Amino acid sequence: MLLKKKYVVILALAITVAVSVAALPSPNNDYKNLQVLPKDISSKDLTKIMIDDFEDGLGVSCTFCHAQGKDSLNVDYASDAKPEKQIARRMMTMTMGINEKYFGLKHPLLGDSVLAINCITCHNGQPRPGDVETK
Amino acid sequence: MKNDNFIDFDKNDDGIDRAGFLKCMAWAGTGLFCLMSGGILKTYGMSQIIDKSTGGIRKGIDIAKGDFSFAQISDSHIGFNKPANPDVVGTLQAAISKINAMPSTPSFILHTGDLSHLAQADEFDTLEQTLKSAKTGKIFYVPGEHDVLNDNGKQYLQRFGKDAKGNGWYSFDFNGVHFIGLVNVVNMAEGGLGVLGSEQLQWLENDVKGLSSSTPIVVFAHIPLWAVYPQWGWGTRDSEQALSYLRRFGSVSILNGHIHQTLQKVEGNITFHTATSTAFPQPQPGTAPSAGPMKVPAEQLRNLLGLTSVNYVEHNHTLAITDLPLSSAKQEQPDHQ
Repeated sequence: MLLKKKYVVILALAITVAVSVAALPSPNNDYKNLQVLPKDISSKDLTKIMIDDFEDGLGVSCTFCHAQGKDSLNVDYASDAKPEKQIARRMMTMTMGINEKYFGLKHPLLGDSVLAINCITCHNGQPRPGDVETK
Repeated sequence: MKNDNFIDFDKNDDGIDRAGFLKCMAWAGTGLFCLMSGGILKTYGMSQIIDKSTGGIRKGIDIAKGDFSFAQISDSHIGFNKPANPDVVGTLQAAISKINAMPSTPSFILHTGDLSHLAQADEFDTLEQTLKSAKTGKIFYVPGEHDVLNDNGKQYLQRFGKDAKGNGWYSFDFNGVHFIGLVNVVNMAEGGLGVLGSEQLQWLENDVKGLSSSTPIVVFAHIPLWAVYPQWGWGTRDSEQALSYLRRFGSVSILNGHIHQTLQKVEGNITFHTATSTAFPQPQPGTAPSAGPMKVPAEQLRNLLGLTSVNYVEHNHTLAITDLPLSSAKQEQPDHQ
């Protein structure tokens, strides 16, 4: 009898866990290879980062970091074929680290308006900060 | 210290020097008014031909009665909300007001891309709703690179390119003029240059093959089809191939956006013209570290986007896709909205 009760409790717990997991908000996107940005980032937030921080901050377009598809001319956003993409990941991590370590921001996220520094702080519209002429 | 508002070389005593004119023209007009007459396309900055006190054409501007007219607007960037212009819907509405104030209703509008800023559904919704107030026959679109972010343009195609081919290219005829909408933003090249791609080029070659050389051609696409400033991606990598199919025609007009300023070039029978944005200005080529939204003092923004207060003196000739001054003896008053 005791054993039966245990099984019932375990079964109830399992159902509860399964229902809870199913109820968790799933990422509202189809992104397959996010490693630094939050996996549940919205399309709008991610695109805004791509435009504000990378396109405007570095003066580049999508294909600076993203490769074309193998069988298509379309951009394959998930591909890691271009080394620039991995560099961008490291730069994002570094930038958030500086905001956290030196400016005391808790859990900084790229795109936050409260960031002390972001891409354009050093890049100033150039792919490589060293390209900016010093006057 | 140099004051850019001063006129330095006013050789003709007309109140404006060449540099000043070019500078003013770069920002004048939230849209273009295009008049097709006898196969010749004449293009006017809208803010410069409308007398705001009467709503009609300004005195001194001679616009011959054309076969029909159409307007071009570009780079509305709905969803953009940074300091360069926190009210892009308002400035789009201002452009529409100018179109609606034209003495003769344009037969249609061409929107040359960057309808949205982030290719979001709500941004496309807002654009469509806002453009419903335009009193014109139809609106034809081509995408800008901002319209195809994330999904390589699937949403754009579903909304604006259902009847188009490939990534959204198409052609149509109107009053004997052949219009061609091209897409050069889906497969952009390194450095941000536009790309048409072999499939579209093949289509273009076939599309114009059967046309008489006397057929007037109007091509519209987002990124310029000439090398405006390749260092900033302001050009299309394989545009020369497209132009080779068009050179036999007697009149070819190519309308683009993307660079948010008016530039013109004539190459044989082909005339290139880039339009201003309805959203925000960008720096002139090479005058900033990179292209991008350019913040100007708030009180100047609407002037720069077309509600200009620049004073032009009558020359009795019109701007026909060349850097020639439009005539106007009356200074336009700034909009107060």
